[in-house]
Amino acid sequence: MSKPIVDIRNLNLVFHVSYHRSWNIRDAFTKFTKDPFEVLNREKDRIYVARNLNLKIHEGERLGLLGVNGVGKTSLCRCIAGMYRPSGGDVELTGQVRAIFSTQVGIQPELTGRENARLIAQFMYPTESFIEELVDEAIEFSELGKFSDVPYRTYSNGMQARLCLSLISAKPAEILILDEVFDGADTFFKEKISKRVLDMIQESGAVIFVSHSPDQIKEVCNRVVVLEHGQIAYDGDPESALSFYNQRSTRFGKNVKR
Amino acid sequence: MAKSSRMVHHNKSMKVSSSKVILNQIFQLAKANLKSRYRKTFAGFLWVMMNPIILYGVQSQVFSKFLKLNVPNYYVFLLTGLLPWIFIVQSMEMCTPIFQSSGSLLKAFPAHPLVYLMAQLVDNMVNFLAAFILILIPILTFQPIDITGLILLPIPLFTLLLGVLSFAWITSTAQVFFGDTRYLVSFGLSISFFLTPIFYPIDFVPERFRIFVELNPFYRLIAPFRASIYSLDSEHFLNQMGLAAIYSFSLLFFAIIFWKRKKNELYFYV
Repeated sequence: MSKPIVDIRNLNLVFHVSYHRSWNIRDAFTKFTKDPFEVLNREKDRIYVARNLNLKIHEGERLGLLGVNGVGKTSLCRCIAGMYRPSGGDVELTGQVRAIFSTQVGIQPELTGRENARLIAQFMYPTESFIEELVDEAIEFSELGKFSDVPYRTYSNGMQARLCLSLISAKPAEILILDEVFDGADTFFKEKISKRVLDMIQESGAVIFVSHSPDQIKEVCNRVVVLEHGQIAYDGDPESALSFYNQRSTRFGKNVKR
Repeated sequence: MAKSSRMVHHNKSMKVSSSKVILNQIFQLAKANLKSRYRKTFAGFLWVMMNPIILYGVQSQVFSKFLKLNVPNYYVFLLTGLLPWIFIVQSMEMCTPIFQSSGSLLKAFPAHPLVYLMAQLVDNMVNFLAAFILILIPILTFQPIDITGLILLPIPLFTLLLGVLSFAWITSTAQVFFGDTRYLVSFGLSISFFLTPIFYPIDFVPERFRIFVELNPFYRLIAPFRASIYSLDSEHFLNQMGLAAIYSFSLLFFAIIFWKRKKNELYFYV
């Protein structure tokens, strides 16, 4: 088998959070003056997103990530994308990552959709030199027409999703991360964009795809990993992984529609 | 649990380009901020410039004519203190909520959060320089200024930018965890305006309190600016620059430590 394009070794990702902390300095000050020992000795909760997690993704693999809400699918993807600093272990990449975690964002709401598309493209395609051509093509594909030249703040969620999805799917990537990105678009556009994203995925080096939709997982992925308690509970082909996930979810009272 | 952690990219072109990419993103975002603010018109540009120009006009009149502060070349003196101060205040107030207000963007794309902060700072720096030049031109016709001081100006500008970046990096990170940080920053800046020798020289401060003013980081960032334009003396300038550099790099060091400790949790709370 070829050298892995993503090689995760003994990854630990821990968040130190406090659910009952003070949310402003005034509150923290009054709590501290009331009982300084309680404030100083209060222990933080630890959320283990990954515990000695090992994962290799090779070129041509379209990996689906499955797991119940809060299990750490998005956090793992963000860690691969370099947004989180691992608490321990190694994340080794041999390609450039393109990732999108939300399709309903604009950078400068006062500027037009086209101007925002240019800015978003700078973040999605940081080393691309033909940004202008890429943006023009994405706008044409999004069918936003004259709306591409009106302020972005007037865009509905669906219009924002159209623009973002058209941009992300404009070119294949070496490592592509798509985290529940189809949810914002309207039904008509969803069909159109699905076809384009699938074509782009086929041409990309490796894909990490997060979705709660079994149909989408089966359509996109050729390998699926099920995450549980910060570790890989199952790694296999989509059909058997979905069946494993369904059994587990049923056990936890969270049935998955098939 | 393994103590060390690594993020390794084997794509050489990516390693080389990452700082270039960040700089390009900062430039593009700052350009978009300016475009959005000026709305592509000269009137928009003038509107943004009015705040520092009016503040300077009013304060120069009040302190020189009404309060009759006995400071030679007061218009130049005030310009070299007030304009950097306005840059500090505007940058701190606009940058402190930036991680919080850019939360959805921070979580949507894998871009370095500093890009948003730096873009805002560059935007403010452009406004500051434009206002500075607009006020300086009429002053130059009445009061001569040593041209060497103007040539040296990029050096104190660098320490000023670095110091403000570090301050803003700390406060914008803290704002994510404590929602009232921005109000405290604003309150602290209002007080600091009177405690920092901006509209009065440090010689006006009684000897026994002067040490506190000397320790004031805002004073340290503004002092070389004044030393280069208002009273250029090479030894004094180098002294002020040295102190400003020590303060700026120390602040940057604290900002980096604070950021590293809080980075992951920031995404969690934002």
